[in-house]
Amino acid sequence: MAWAARRIAVSLALVWIVASIVFLVIHIVPGDPAELLLSSGGFAPDPAAVAELRERLGLDRPLLAQYAAYLGALLRGDLGTSLVDDFPVAQEILLRLPRTLELIGAGALIAVAAGIPAGTWAALRRGGAFDQIASATAALLLAVPVFVVGTLLVLVFAQLLRWMPAGGYVALADDPWRHLILLSLPALAIGKGLVAVVFRMTRTAVLDALSRDYVRTARAKGLSPARVLLRHVVRNALIPVLTVLALHMGSLLGGTVLVEYVFNWPGLSTPLLRAVEARDYPMVVGIVVTISALFVLLNLAMDLIYAALDPRIRAA
Amino acid sequence: MRRLALPVALVGGIVLLALAAPLLPLADPVTQDVARRLAGPMPGNPLGRDEFGRDVLSRLVWGARSSLAVAFASGAIACACGTILGLLGGWFRGLGELLAVRSMDVVLCFPPVLLALLAVTLLGPGAATLILVLSVLYLPGFVRVTYAEVLSARNHDYVEAVRALGASTPRILGRTVLPNIAGPVLVQLSLAVASAVVLESGLSFLGLGVVPPAPSWGLMIRGARATMAQAPLMLLWPCIALTFTILAMNLLCDRLRDAVDPRGAPARRRLRLVDRVLPGLLPAPSPPHGEALLALHDLTIEIATPRGAIRPVEEVSLSVPPGETLAIVGESGSGKSLTATAIMGLLPDAARVVAGAAWFEGRDLLRLDEKARRSLRGGAIAMIFQDPMSSLNPVHRVGDQVAEAIRAHQRVSPREAAARAVALLRRVGIADPARRARSYPHQLSGGMRQRVMIAMAIANRPRLLIADEPTTALDVTVQAQILELLADLRRETGMGLVFITHNLGVVAEIADSVAVMYAGQVVEQGRVAEVFGTPRHPYTRALLAAVPEGEAPPSGIPGVVPQPHAYPRGCRFAPRCPHAAAVCETPPPLEQLGDRQLRCLRHAELGAAAGIAA
Repeated sequence: MAWAARRIAVSLALVWIVASIVFLVIHIVPGDPAELLLSSGGFAPDPAAVAELRERLGLDRPLLAQYAAYLGALLRGDLGTSLVDDFPVAQEILLRLPRTLELIGAGALIAVAAGIPAGTWAALRRGGAFDQIASATAALLLAVPVFVVGTLLVLVFAQLLRWMPAGGYVALADDPWRHLILLSLPALAIGKGLVAVVFRMTRTAVLDALSRDYVRTARAKGLSPARVLLRHVVRNALIPVLTVLALHMGSLLGGTVLVEYVFNWPGLSTPLLRAVEARDYPMVVGIVVTISALFVLLNLAMDLIYAALDPRIRAA
Repeated sequence: MRRLALPVALVGGIVLLALAAPLLPLADPVTQDVARRLAGPMPGNPLGRDEFGRDVLSRLVWGARSSLAVAFASGAIACACGTILGLLGGWFRGLGELLAVRSMDVVLCFPPVLLALLAVTLLGPGAATLILVLSVLYLPGFVRVTYAEVLSARNHDYVEAVRALGASTPRILGRTVLPNIAGPVLVQLSLAVASAVVLESGLSFLGLGVVPPAPSWGLMIRGARATMAQAPLMLLWPCIALTFTILAMNLLCDRLRDAVDPRGAPARRRLRLVDRVLPGLLPAPSPPHGEALLALHDLTIEIATPRGAIRPVEEVSLSVPPGETLAIVGESGSGKSLTATAIMGLLPDAARVVAGAAWFEGRDLLRLDEKARRSLRGGAIAMIFQDPMSSLNPVHRVGDQVAEAIRAHQRVSPREAAARAVALLRRVGIADPARRARSYPHQLSGGMRQRVMIAMAIANRPRLLIADEPTTALDVTVQAQILELLADLRRETGMGLVFITHNLGVVAEIADSVAVMYAGQVVEQGRVAEVFGTPRHPYTRALLAAVPEGEAPPSGIPGVVPQPHAYPRGCRFAPRCPHAAAVCETPPPLEQLGDRQLRCLRHAELGAAAGIAA
């Protein structure tokens, strides 16, 4: 339990560091945000307007005071309002975050549901036809960028075959079936790289586990092959697979930005991209801090599951 | 190195093509010709024109240029800065280490795309922003690799030697350490460049990377997406170019890694099908006479190796009467363990039984189907292995592992099995068994782990227990306790015991009969008292002489057991035998001499010389 508490404390510290860095980066980069924001189309901005915006954003106060105000607001869950439409950033994030999380969850689910059985089967029949085909497919999937997969899925399933809409979103409550249909392609696109990673790691880990003495012991007990495989081979192989899954959470979160764009999925990336283009600082900061914090917390969750799977960790 | 040729050629070809773009007879990649937008292939435009009437082939080649320029530039910057930071952090430690190495962890808190978007917000889109942010993203990788290598290089003798000679720090770092970290850094560089190509194209696709109208694969895909209904091929070309490039780069990364770190190289394939088909093809021998619990008859095991088939176990015949203990002794590599695994039916995939029979209670184990063997395994025949730590599954509680053995052979409820597991743990002498049952293997001592293994083996009251060097991994006092426990259990249950060991002192205490094995063959076999009292084979004598006893110094046996592919043609012990003569060039048969079996052509002469009646 002490281990978990320490791990949680470290994660919270990381979230604080992330928030501080985002703050620092914004204020250290040369150029006044207010000036940058107002200088569009190469015209020098009106000094009065700049001054007013500086005051509104609190940029005229000392850096430390700004930092304290920023952290205080973060703790209260107040992320400010958008410079573009005055909409509260936190509210926008709360509306859209669940959709992004749903996408990530569906992608990870596909990766695990396809990658672990395929990796296990390839390891059991090492060098066989399935192993070779699956390994080659994994190499290909790793090489194709996520937005290419997404775009090609749209081309094939929406344009050429006309089986599915090219993108969009319907709330689960409104039309569950259509919600799932619309979810399927983006989830496939986002899970594509992870499925290859999970496949490769599972294959390696199962091959490793198969050669272990404890598997020989399990067989010596007269257990059925299925039980040996599930309880002693796959169960132990899950540990490194999970580590790899955790390591790839970052690319998964990054992948959502591209996938949501390709499929018009109204998650966090739409307002993020719009805010990046419009230099809407509060919105960018809010979303980046939220996603980074999420990233840290996902890693924490992975670590806790990891400890549940491997009793040796808890002792350390 | 030959495995590197293909990916190097592919990546080199792509880079050359990109470099040569201005020299090639291509149309201008940015000149628009709206009248001919989305035109199909024609002379001069083999891949047609895009949505602004620009030549697609030309844009593909020029696009490679901008993608690769960004990727290589950021990779090179990250490589240079990261290597220097890692060198400094690893060499000076202390504050430098903190600043150079630990600070990198912060970068890893951000998902890469997010960090890139943050940078674009602050600096505006464009190639310069991309290079900057990608360099920052890949910096930690280089710092970590270099840092780790420097730490290990610092302690190497050659670095110490150069230091002692008074070389200056920059000189040591540059001349001595740097060449040694080149391999891992090169791998890291290839990873960074490949990943930079992906990120660059992704950001350009979002319109936040390379600024139009400059050609880039990401931008081309972005443009073609809008017109995919009219011109799907236009979408396909940049997708193929991008994927192919990354595929080639990934291949290069994999092969580089294999070249730098050969441990990860693919292993050779294993045989499988043969040992499934084979049991039915063996000629059925007649069952043995007598009442042996286990009787091996001319057991021969073959292993397929790259150098051809070897026979690490050849024509081994043994027998264990019910309730008796047979010890199999011999040095490592004599085939003892392989014989035991064959009895259990747990031979590794590459090994198979090619001849002989293994009779257990009148049934030939080698001709049973897998299902029947499984019901014997852990049931009537159980086995204890050498290293109890690696033989127990680290992620399951020991009580569960014992209960699992019970439930594999008996129809009992989980609760009942758990209760019996605790009783078994108590029987094998584990204090506080109810609590210990809930422990994981890593929480137990070596002796306790072996007791758990024994509890697991006796869970279904086996009639034959095979113990393969069960005390080798344990210290001496624990060894004695485990031996005592095994002897107790044998008396109590009347099971037969096959005890494999290289410790002859143990044999005299525990066994009724003994089989001495050398290089895959039984060389002498008989009752323990007889064999140890009057050893007739020179190898048995040498083994006994090697046991430390009292004040007399033990005499070792010169040389080692030959490898199976290099067995001598005649007597296999002859090269190490002090009594070898010309006659030993002929393979000796296993002779039956009363109760004793012996494989030595000179035993009569040697026995006469030693004053033993033949």
